[in-house]
Amino acid sequence: MDELRNLYRYRQLIAALTARDLKARYRGSILGFFWSLANPLLLLTVYTVVFTFFFPSNVIRPYPLFLFAGILPWTFFSAAVLESTTAISSNAGLIKKVMFPAEALPLVTVASHLVHFALAMPIVLLATVGFALHGDITIRATILLVPFLMILQTLFVAGIAMTVASMSVLFRDLRDILTNFMQVGFFVTPILYLIDKVASRPARALLRLNPMTPFVVSYQDVLFFGHLPGIADTLLMIAYAFVSVAMGITVFGRLRDTLAEAI
Amino acid sequence: MTDYAIALTKVCKSYRLWGRGSQFATLKSALLKRDLALTPETSVEAVRDVSFAVDRGEAFGIIGRNGSGKSTLLKLISGILKPTSGSVKVNGRVAALIELGAGFHPEITGRENIYINGIMLGLSRKEIDARFDQIVAFSGIPEFIDQPVKTYSSGMYVRLGFAVAVHVDPDVLLIDEVLSVGDEEFSAKCVAKIQEMKYRGVTLVFVTHQLDQVRNLCDRALWLDHGEPETIGDPVRVVDAYLQAVSSTQTAPPRVAAAEPEAPRDDPNEEERWGSGEVVLSRVALVDTRGNELVALGPGTPVAIEMDVTVRVPQDDFVFGIGIYHADGACVYGTNTDLEGLMPERIETNGRVRFIMPALDLVAGTYRIDAAIHTRNGRAFDYRRGAIRFVVGSRVHDIGVYRPKHQWKFEGGIAFNEIDLEQRNVPIEVAEAMRTVRKPKRTR
Repeated sequence: MDELRNLYRYRQLIAALTARDLKARYRGSILGFFWSLANPLLLLTVYTVVFTFFFPSNVIRPYPLFLFAGILPWTFFSAAVLESTTAISSNAGLIKKVMFPAEALPLVTVASHLVHFALAMPIVLLATVGFALHGDITIRATILLVPFLMILQTLFVAGIAMTVASMSVLFRDLRDILTNFMQVGFFVTPILYLIDKVASRPARALLRLNPMTPFVVSYQDVLFFGHLPGIADTLLMIAYAFVSVAMGITVFGRLRDTLAEAI
Repeated sequence: MTDYAIALTKVCKSYRLWGRGSQFATLKSALLKRDLALTPETSVEAVRDVSFAVDRGEAFGIIGRNGSGKSTLLKLISGILKPTSGSVKVNGRVAALIELGAGFHPEITGRENIYINGIMLGLSRKEIDARFDQIVAFSGIPEFIDQPVKTYSSGMYVRLGFAVAVHVDPDVLLIDEVLSVGDEEFSAKCVAKIQEMKYRGVTLVFVTHQLDQVRNLCDRALWLDHGEPETIGDPVRVVDAYLQAVSSTQTAPPRVAAAEPEAPRDDPNEEERWGSGEVVLSRVALVDTRGNELVALGPGTPVAIEMDVTVRVPQDDFVFGIGIYHADGACVYGTNTDLEGLMPERIETNGRVRFIMPALDLVAGTYRIDAAIHTRNGRAFDYRRGAIRFVVGSRVHDIGVYRPKHQWKFEGGIAFNEIDLEQRNVPIEVAEAMRTVRKPKRTR
């Protein structure tokens, strides 16, 4: 409970540092925050081209919109977790020289990636409206559930980021391990395909074990298919979010005192 | 309401050294060896069994050699580090000036950094709004405040960092060796600000090598030696005891193995000495024409630098050098036998070297002399930095370091009344210098 109270106390700090991160990142670049969209947009284009022209076997239409629903939350997850591995070591000065709440650092990383994610949503909405005008899709009210999913996903990502950030101070190779892990993870999450269309039973079981699966499936539900997320998925997301936060607080709390000297 | 601001009880801190030669284990190796316990193989005790309490409004100084645990102790008080055993209690809001501007981000402006830094130090946005103008005024760099911090000089960086830190209005202010940065004007401003805070009842803890500051600003001092408290009490007494201990180790013959230069010196008034020790300058003194040792002299006095040389291992390659420095570090003059075309032949037995100056034409001030014997490629046998300290006094308020022999001549309708300079007051800074200079220590 103490941890949560501290986090509330540091909210101004986290907000200020997130603003600093975003400002520093985009100062002096012409396209500004669009750089953060460049990678998901590129992926989107490539996969759309591949699965529409090179290998036109999929039945999901409009495919780009389907990809959007999966790629953006995945990018938020993988980028925030990967960057949190260096959140503490790249701010060594703060930890060693200033009385600074170390837990703020991974949360700042998560917050700035959340901002990128949120800024991408208007583009998804615009695309949805475009396809709707074209008659490919109908806009449903379930889109309003996106913020709810984002809150749950942010809790999930924040817990993992805190775990990863504190552990990577002691284990410098965690970043390399996670980079590979994320590359595999992208394909073991139903982003490019529909989970229901996976024929092999063991493969479906594997997908079900992936904690990102219920999140991605739920985003697809509300953004693309226009129906409510399944009850099982919703319960899983809530469970994952709480387990992740509990793990983050425990691991970080245990390692906090060694950070200033191990860094 | 407790009456102490800081209380340390039996505080120990050991740093763990992670084993297997490498600083960090990798997760992969840990998993492969099924050894996630992270057992440290060795540990170093940086602070051992320190107990003291600092009252509210007290100024407390911590002195000691490099590596004696002073900064660790300060980090323990600030909460950056946690003690391995014992307890640290602090009442009130703490601000620690351990590194000025440590939280600055180079890409964003000074203005934005003031806000971020202020929030880090525990202020709210509103509180910073209220103090913003004061902070900028104190930093003295209003014209650069909207520039990215990466364009700042290191001096500007430090000014802004200090300005933010002292406007946090802490109950306890911890200062680690930061008063020595910045130019004269700014250091004076910092000291004045700290005195003002002390007057307002802020508890101060200093770690410093500037022993004068400890004597002048502190109510009590702690001398820390190898992580253990050596003496606590009256700052003048503690500083003295510390200086005694330091000088007794420094006048001992240099260890033959210690060829590397020592760490930055603890006190600008203390001699620093290094060298391989085959040949040693056992005595270095500034003497007058009759051979009496001098600590204070008038301008233009005929003097000589005398060096007694003790030879342990005869040498073929040797150079004697001297350097005269102003107290602020500026080199007044330096030369050596090699530069002046004296080729070494042989140094076989003990001897004496005299560097004779018919007139030492220096302006009033404090100076130091370095003396050394080294090889022609610079390997020191014995290098004694600050071997002599002396004061030049003068009734004339002239400025600079060098006083050329001169006189004024006037022709035409220009007239002066000459006054007796003896009637004029001695310049304050000279009187000060005469008072604070210590006699050079005799070597035993």
